[in-house]
Amino acid sequence: MTEHPEPYEDEYRVALLRERLAEDGHAELGVQVERRGNAVLLTGTVPTAVRRDEILGLARTVFPGFAVRAEVAVAGCDAPDHGEELS
Amino acid sequence: MTLLGPDRPAPSRSGRPAGDPGDPAGSRPVVRVAAVGDIHLGEDCAGLLRPAFEALPDCADVLLLAGDLTRHGTVAEARVVAGEIASLGVPVVAVLGNHDHHSDEPEEVSRVLRDAGAHVLEGDSVVLPVAGHKVGVAGVKGFCGGFVGRSAGEFGEPEMKAFVRTTRRSAESLAGALGGLARHGCAARVALTHFSPVPDTLAGEPPEIHPFLGSYLLAEAIDAEGADLAVHGHAHLGTEHGMTAGGVRVRNVAQPVIDHAFALYRLPLDGGPGARTGPAGLVGRYGTH
Repeated sequence: MTEHPEPYEDEYRVALLRERLAEDGHAELGVQVERRGNAVLLTGTVPTAVRRDEILGLARTVFPGFAVRAEVAVAGCDAPDHGEELS
Repeated sequence: MTLLGPDRPAPSRSGRPAGDPGDPAGSRPVVRVAAVGDIHLGEDCAGLLRPAFEALPDCADVLLLAGDLTRHGTVAEARVVAGEIASLGVPVVAVLGNHDHHSDEPEEVSRVLRDAGAHVLEGDSVVLPVAGHKVGVAGVKGFCGGFVGRSAGEFGEPEMKAFVRTTRRSAESLAGALGGLARHGCAARVALTHFSPVPDTLAGEPPEIHPFLGSYLLAEAIDAEGADLAVHGHAHLGTEHGMTAGGVRVRNVAQPVIDHAFALYRLPLDGGPGARTGPAGLVGRYGTH
């Protein structure tokens, strides 16, 4: 993905990471990216653990030298044990 | 409108396994609605949801899929979705989401899902026989634009007008489909969309992006024609419960929100206190009923 220019300021790296998360290979529009001091925090929910690892790898590429902290959950795939009564 | 038949007997009230919400209403007839959206299946996801879906005949009368079923909207990914939903033993009713349009082949994605037995709706409806009653589902993908007081207007540049017009036309087709279900005498009607009709279920999403997550035009259509439940996805960080201005319950069933393979809702079929089988009587965009 070398066609992406380096951002002028680190602040724009947040936008760059979100742009790359939305691109064809990832298509993850539901992951939030925030700067927290000298770290970057990713939050959200993805379908599989493999998808989460891919996203963390991408974040480390876009934010070299930053700590990448992740609160990215994998969505539950079990049947529910109760439902809602809409009476 | 697609009519399914023949009718099936009233579901058994006992011996249901996991997922049965119980029967606190006694022998009152209900439709058991299972729903999920935003499963975002890629080519590497075959079999992810199938084990849970195989429990559906024991706990649900219908499975609703609220869009974003694939990751990039490719035919190969649609085939993975098809493998999860084929021959489940309950009717499957779906709308597509924005991800399902990303590869510019939504018709092909729809065809693959239909070949697997799903009813893929876009401005139309399906009527299901449940326990001797008719249950109608009207569906559109919907689109964005925002909510009352903070919405985009059909004004200015052609691009802006086309953007808002897309949502308005989608809402009008949803209203038409819901109206058709009312005239058909459905005991319960469900509005199925991908984009949200209300801001309630977006709580947790950054407020700045609410205009990209749904539109009040969808809620206005639902309130004008009446429905018993509105189901949507798209807002991964949102919350499950909401309500339109007209009092129709809204549920955000995006998988990251419900954190299960599906959510379950039981709707009465006998015109109980929550039933809304007629239009709201609103004066406005859709006229007076």
